[in-house]
Amino acid sequence: MNWFLGIDAGSTYVKAVLIDETGFVKGRRVSATGFNAEDVASRLVEEICGEACIASCDICGIVATGYGRRRIGDAGNNVTEIKAHAMGALRNGDAENGRIRTIIDVGGQDLKVIILGDAGEIESFVMNDKCAAGTGRFLEHMARILDLSLSGMGKLALTSTSPCEINSTCVVFAESEVISLCASGKNLADIVSGIHYSLARRIARMARNASFKSGVLLTGGGALNPGLVKTLEDELMTDVHVPPYPQFNGALGAAFAALEAGQKTPLTGMS
Amino acid sequence: MIQGELSETMHQRHSEHLKRKIAANASRLLDAVRQSPVRPKGLDHFIDVLDNVYVSDDVRSHLGGKEETPAVIGLYCMMVPEELIYAAGFIPLRLCGGSYDAFLVGGDYAPRDACPVVKASLGSSLRGVPSVYGLCDVVIVPTTCDAKRKAAEELSRFSEVWVLEMPHVKDSEASREGWRCQLYGLAKELNNLGKRKGSKTKINRSNLKKAMELIGAASYQARRLFSLRKLSPPALSGMEASIALSAYGFDRADIWTREMKSLNDELENRQGERVSRCLQRRPRLLLAGSPSIFPNWKVPLIADEMGADIVVDESCVGDRLLYDVAGLSEKTLDSMIEALAARYLAPCVCPVFTPNDDRLYRLIELAGEFAIDGVIYHVLKGCIPYDFELYRVERIFRERKVPVLRIETDYTLEDVEPLRTRIEAFIEMLAGKEKK
Repeated sequence: MNWFLGIDAGSTYVKAVLIDETGFVKGRRVSATGFNAEDVASRLVEEICGEACIASCDICGIVATGYGRRRIGDAGNNVTEIKAHAMGALRNGDAENGRIRTIIDVGGQDLKVIILGDAGEIESFVMNDKCAAGTGRFLEHMARILDLSLSGMGKLALTSTSPCEINSTCVVFAESEVISLCASGKNLADIVSGIHYSLARRIARMARNASFKSGVLLTGGGALNPGLVKTLEDELMTDVHVPPYPQFNGALGAAFAALEAGQKTPLTGMS
Repeated sequence: MIQGELSETMHQRHSEHLKRKIAANASRLLDAVRQSPVRPKGLDHFIDVLDNVYVSDDVRSHLGGKEETPAVIGLYCMMVPEELIYAAGFIPLRLCGGSYDAFLVGGDYAPRDACPVVKASLGSSLRGVPSVYGLCDVVIVPTTCDAKRKAAEELSRFSEVWVLEMPHVKDSEASREGWRCQLYGLAKELNNLGKRKGSKTKINRSNLKKAMELIGAASYQARRLFSLRKLSPPALSGMEASIALSAYGFDRADIWTREMKSLNDELENRQGERVSRCLQRRPRLLLAGSPSIFPNWKVPLIADEMGADIVVDESCVGDRLLYDVAGLSEKTLDSMIEALAARYLAPCVCPVFTPNDDRLYRLIELAGEFAIDGVIYHVLKGCIPYDFELYRVERIFRERKVPVLRIETDYTLEDVEPLRTRIEAFIEMLAGKEKK
């Protein structure tokens, strides 16, 4: 059996996905990026192989993506996040959700909107500029100042009936807005919901700039947050699909990139 | 103490500091081009010109005349007729700034939202670094965009500034009339300046005709270079072309034309060899929007590294400057000034003009002629005119299914990595489309 591995070295987490030659997913691992993404990636490769009971030399191809993609020594090749997400979405989204035409990836410090054409090719994409407003960092920081866990915050947002108005998506400015809301005795769930709406509005604005089409797939760690999914559906006024393992979408795409490359040039020398 | 005014010794120290930084950054770029094994030999002169300006800081060695300082006039934007300057016996130099280090200095004396071109020009003028900024007897600023117009006032603290009132609506008789009057006024001022400097040269029929032929010859060579970039693969890289075109701003037109002719001849002769060396077709890009002024090559460098060729740059430091030629049919002084007034107004598609549909037609034409795969639309922060026209440009290219990537940035290097990701993904996307 031939195995292929995709590594997504993101700003916050490193993700790895192992697939076999038929494209069946055999394992997934994630770990915080920390200081050295390369060491983390090597550890993940070992772990994932151990779990799947294969030797690491049985892996026919490794492709890296994400911020740290050029530093991953184990990878034979690398692709941009845009391409990886598009490839991942084709495998991740279509089966149960119908045709995916827009991918919204909410990562640790990136926000991407990718528009796909009829044949699944990348038609256009928009990414955030320098500023990390509208990304996972925003939610992480808000959770910290409210002393909530990330997962708890998403669920809490769903319970709100009258969300507070929070206008800023800048982490620093939003923090002072949130603090003054807390000081004025607002309900915690309403504040949390307001935070999610503020983020969703920012994401929706970017999606509209990219002329998004319906058939929206939400990926990245942000998609694990049910509060964000709901508020985003509300702001985009369309259904938002979330794949089973949204934060592995980029790594899955990279694994398929490795599979494609491996099929083109069979690695005859490897046993 | 007035803002920006330092004691003599402090000014000296600040200037030395800026000079070192500009030289270090410029020489890094020039060395990279110098060390390229495929560099055409004919490029060396242009590399030397930029080296003289930014690194060794001695423009006299190529402007000629070691014994006396050449009489030079600084120009901003591309609407000041160089022909009049040459006819009056001066050499024009182009002062729109592209230096990151000068931009940091100028940033303290301009509003936050002013564009980096204006900030860099202010910084260089304030410190007199590179020394070409201090060399100019007079600086001419046409009233193009808001930032340039107001910068003219600040620049007048450092040298004599002439403001040339440029109309923003081209298609009206009143504009043409007013503009012609401005050029007559400019000619008169140039003659007066000559007299003040003890020169006997005055603008007349014969020296203006000669100057028009001089610039005509330069345009002819520039156009030859453009057609060499239409080839597949282009006869030289975007960076190499940019070196040659940037050098025009600091060179004497006659020398530049001579060197450009030999560069073009060399490129024509070696094209066959270049075709055989290129294994893979690289996506062809049109660089649109705000100018990438040397040494601010942030965006073009990333595009090149990520595997695409910039084959045409529509901006005023790229292919726009020398694209149009003033026609010479009648040879009276009046008709020549008339022709110059028309040449510097009508065909210019700088977005400061309104309406500016001509720019859209030009872009469509360029995209076809240069067989463009995609467009990088460069917006310098604060450059409202170019940013405004983005929507129309995006629309015309969407209709033609040519992808457009908008990049908004300034001269700082802090966003290079995120930009690299976006530009690389864009080029990867173009390469993917081509395969299908």
